[in-house]
Amino acid sequence: MIHLFIFLPLLGSLLMGLFPRQWRDEVAVAVSLLTLGLGVALWASGGTGLFSVPWVEALGITYSVQLSGVSLVLALVTAFMTFVAVLYGRQRVENPAVMLALVLSMETGLLGIFAARDLVLFYVFFEDALLPALLMLAMFGGPSRMRALVKFAAYTLLGSLMMLLSIIGVKWLGGSPTFALADLLQHPVTGPAQTWLYLGFLAAMAVKLPLWPMHAWLPDFHEQNHASGVPDVMGTLYKVGGYGLFTFALPLFPDASLELRPILMGLAAFTALYAAWIAFRQTDWKRLLAYAGLSHMGFVALGVFSMNETAVIGAMYLLAFQNLYTGALFLGVGMLQERVGSLDTRVGGVMTQAGALGGLTMALWFASIAVPGMAGFVGEFSVLLGTYQVSPWLAFVAGLTTIAAAAYALNAFQTTFWGGRPDGAVKVRDLRGAEWPVLALPLAAALFFGVYSAPALNLIQPAVRGVLSAIGGN
Amino acid sequence: MLTVPDVALAPLLPILIVLAGALSSTLLGFWLPRRTLTFVNLVALVLSGAAMVTLWNSGESAFAGGLRADNAALLLGLTILVGSALTLLVSLDTAYRARVSFPEFDAMLMYAVTGCLLIAFSGDLIVMLIGLEIMSLSGYVLATLQQSRRAEEAGLKYFLLGAVGSATLIYGIAFLYGATGSLSYAGIAERASGLTPANLGILVAGALLLLAGFGFKVALAPFHQWTPDVYGGAPTSVSLFLSTVVKVAAFAGLLRVFGGALADAPGWQPVLQVLTAATLIVGNLAALFQTNFKRMLAYSAVAHTGFLALTLLGQPDLGGAALSYYLLVYTFMTAAALAIVAALQRGEEGMEISDLRGLYHRHPAYAVALAVCLASLAGLPPFAGFFGKYLAFQAAFQNGYVGLSILAALSSVAALVYYLRPGMLLFMPDRTPAREYAHGQRPATTLALAVCLVGVTVLGILPNLWYGWGANPDIWRVLAGR
Repeated sequence: MIHLFIFLPLLGSLLMGLFPRQWRDEVAVAVSLLTLGLGVALWASGGTGLFSVPWVEALGITYSVQLSGVSLVLALVTAFMTFVAVLYGRQRVENPAVMLALVLSMETGLLGIFAARDLVLFYVFFEDALLPALLMLAMFGGPSRMRALVKFAAYTLLGSLMMLLSIIGVKWLGGSPTFALADLLQHPVTGPAQTWLYLGFLAAMAVKLPLWPMHAWLPDFHEQNHASGVPDVMGTLYKVGGYGLFTFALPLFPDASLELRPILMGLAAFTALYAAWIAFRQTDWKRLLAYAGLSHMGFVALGVFSMNETAVIGAMYLLAFQNLYTGALFLGVGMLQERVGSLDTRVGGVMTQAGALGGLTMALWFASIAVPGMAGFVGEFSVLLGTYQVSPWLAFVAGLTTIAAAAYALNAFQTTFWGGRPDGAVKVRDLRGAEWPVLALPLAAALFFGVYSAPALNLIQPAVRGVLSAIGGN
Repeated sequence: MLTVPDVALAPLLPILIVLAGALSSTLLGFWLPRRTLTFVNLVALVLSGAAMVTLWNSGESAFAGGLRADNAALLLGLTILVGSALTLLVSLDTAYRARVSFPEFDAMLMYAVTGCLLIAFSGDLIVMLIGLEIMSLSGYVLATLQQSRRAEEAGLKYFLLGAVGSATLIYGIAFLYGATGSLSYAGIAERASGLTPANLGILVAGALLLLAGFGFKVALAPFHQWTPDVYGGAPTSVSLFLSTVVKVAAFAGLLRVFGGALADAPGWQPVLQVLTAATLIVGNLAALFQTNFKRMLAYSAVAHTGFLALTLLGQPDLGGAALSYYLLVYTFMTAAALAIVAALQRGEEGMEISDLRGLYHRHPAYAVALAVCLASLAGLPPFAGFFGKYLAFQAAFQNGYVGLSILAALSSVAALVYYLRPGMLLFMPDRTPAREYAHGQRPATTLALAVCLVGVTVLGILPNLWYGWGANPDIWRVLAGR
């Protein structure tokens, strides 16, 4: 079933072409819903065990997949948000079939990333998620997409090629027979070589996270994407760096992680604060959201790098549920753009005519800036709590971010939604039809997991404990 | 007392079949139209391939080891046949437009393939040289066959520089003979280890001269300068042939000589390392600044030479397997990309990169095919180019060339940018009128493209289909017949 869960979206996107033109959107919705259903069924049955068969035997590459713990949570959120994005995309994008096919094929890449338990397989899915993202940007992007595209691709590829070399090195220097994670863990690399390999791995993950100073592609990427925000939802899911660090880098390079911990934590805390500061100055909603996401990712990185149990749990929690509200906010921005024709944060007075849009957006912002009772709070608070035990000062620096976050969020919200509607401005209509569930479903999920975190924690906690006990972190 | 040479027909058969195709094109060309000959030649290539498959694992040799049909030769030989067949298919549709549609084109092509196979099957330096000269001379003619100033200039350049390359190579062969007293790979390998210092110097000089000579043929920097002009100036189907088949053959020669005969000889590895690094940098950076798509592909061929050369460093049992896989994949990717250029270009100078804008909305199938090729050339999974690059990195890394692997990874980023730009332009919306040649039926090109795309995708998802054959290290330990 796990294979069907991973490859069903790709299959769906390939088969969409066989259906008559007017049915293709419905097919996409059905496929994404079915995938989500499969995911929930997997969850209900308690995740899957490790499935491993040789893939390229001569090279020691295996097809090893497993969905349990953290990876299951992330995969579920991915499937959920893909469904939401498809739901919105089919009515918002002109001739949506191609876009939806790309969204679905990207979903396969992302689910594969979370399921892979073999380093080369992980790399393959890692790159596969890239192609649809690039195509979405190329086909539906803004006027200066070429620059954004090249920047994005160059950063990503630079990182992942370094990671590829590290992957080769980990197997060869450790003397493992295959690239399967289980085998590699039994043949660890020690000494200075481990640090170098970790740095290679880090190059890829720092770009994906992204971590300052590897973040420059992110705002351009989001700014130039299609205004509906559908590609951005997939883009926010794209932040697999935190997950990769947790699942692969920490267990494989424990000594190096410990050695580099102070530097990396410092960078992460700086990223969080810096991004929040820059976000304050943005006048474009998408850039604002991009920087807000960057700031959240700084938190995730801080948690993971601290190697403290509470902090890592918080980081994984944040990583999973950040997708919900940031993704939904991107879609909300898409709706705003559809109504007022611009992504500027200073249009003013939208609330007076579109109360539901404003209200839901505000609630999502609350989730984003970690108001207690929302999922973001559980994550950010745990990260800060755990980090404090490792490095109080960095926890303080990162804690400043929450203040900055409130400032940029409320500032942007106020100038867009409150105040008076300018004279002669177009009449803004309120939410209707499928737009309601598109915003309300993620919000409901964020609320639910903000109040009742046990279902997610039950999955995350054992996984984190398992990883940390294996490497002897504190 | 004359001894009768040991002539065995079985290992010669694949070459003889191709030669028969060449001779029949030469003679029957007086009576039969060119298209018929092309079909005859395609059949000859298939028969030759079948002969090779039956020779698998037989390890037969002829002329006292001068010609060897070992598994390494067969793997590379099959790759050569694939590239040649693709060239013939593409030429069916485009040779007429390129004004090279006469029997001599086919004849020359088949002679060149004969030479290429001789190189792959060679067991001593003389056979290798004969093959190389047949291949080169036919190549010069092919490049000039079209009556245009550009083609003549390209051909002349190719001839002059190629002749210098050949001369260097012959000089190197003489040195090797002087140092070891043997022309066969096995003999050289045997004697290379126990040489006096004076002879050792001659051996190293010979090895370096050979490296330079081969450098011309495979376009290693700084011997690559003819490549963009020749690939860009020759008719596109000829560029396709030169950049795939001829390169495969030259790499087969490199592998035979440096992985086999000179595997234990000192001196050449550091030089090859420097040349590889230079090729990676020059090829990738120059491709980055091209505006003409065909020229960009020419520079990308140079860049790929750099990746291919990575596999030659160190132990051949790792590198040989990587090389044989990469060469096949490279043939598919490059042939497909150039086939699309040949099909869509308005003139033989190819197309500008900006002309590709919006191709998806005019010719969706061609655009998707080209995008797949570019993604594969850039080394993105799930296409076969990824495993090719991966294997090259792995071979270099595990042989201890970590710095060079990192350089290769860095230069790949430049590669990604120049493959990505046209790849993305294909899908962008466009309102200007079409800039490609829109007329004509292209069933043969479509068939060739389908073969390439299936190859690139299937070998990417299941690399074992081909790599499984070459993965056995024993194949590559007997390169010199030991």
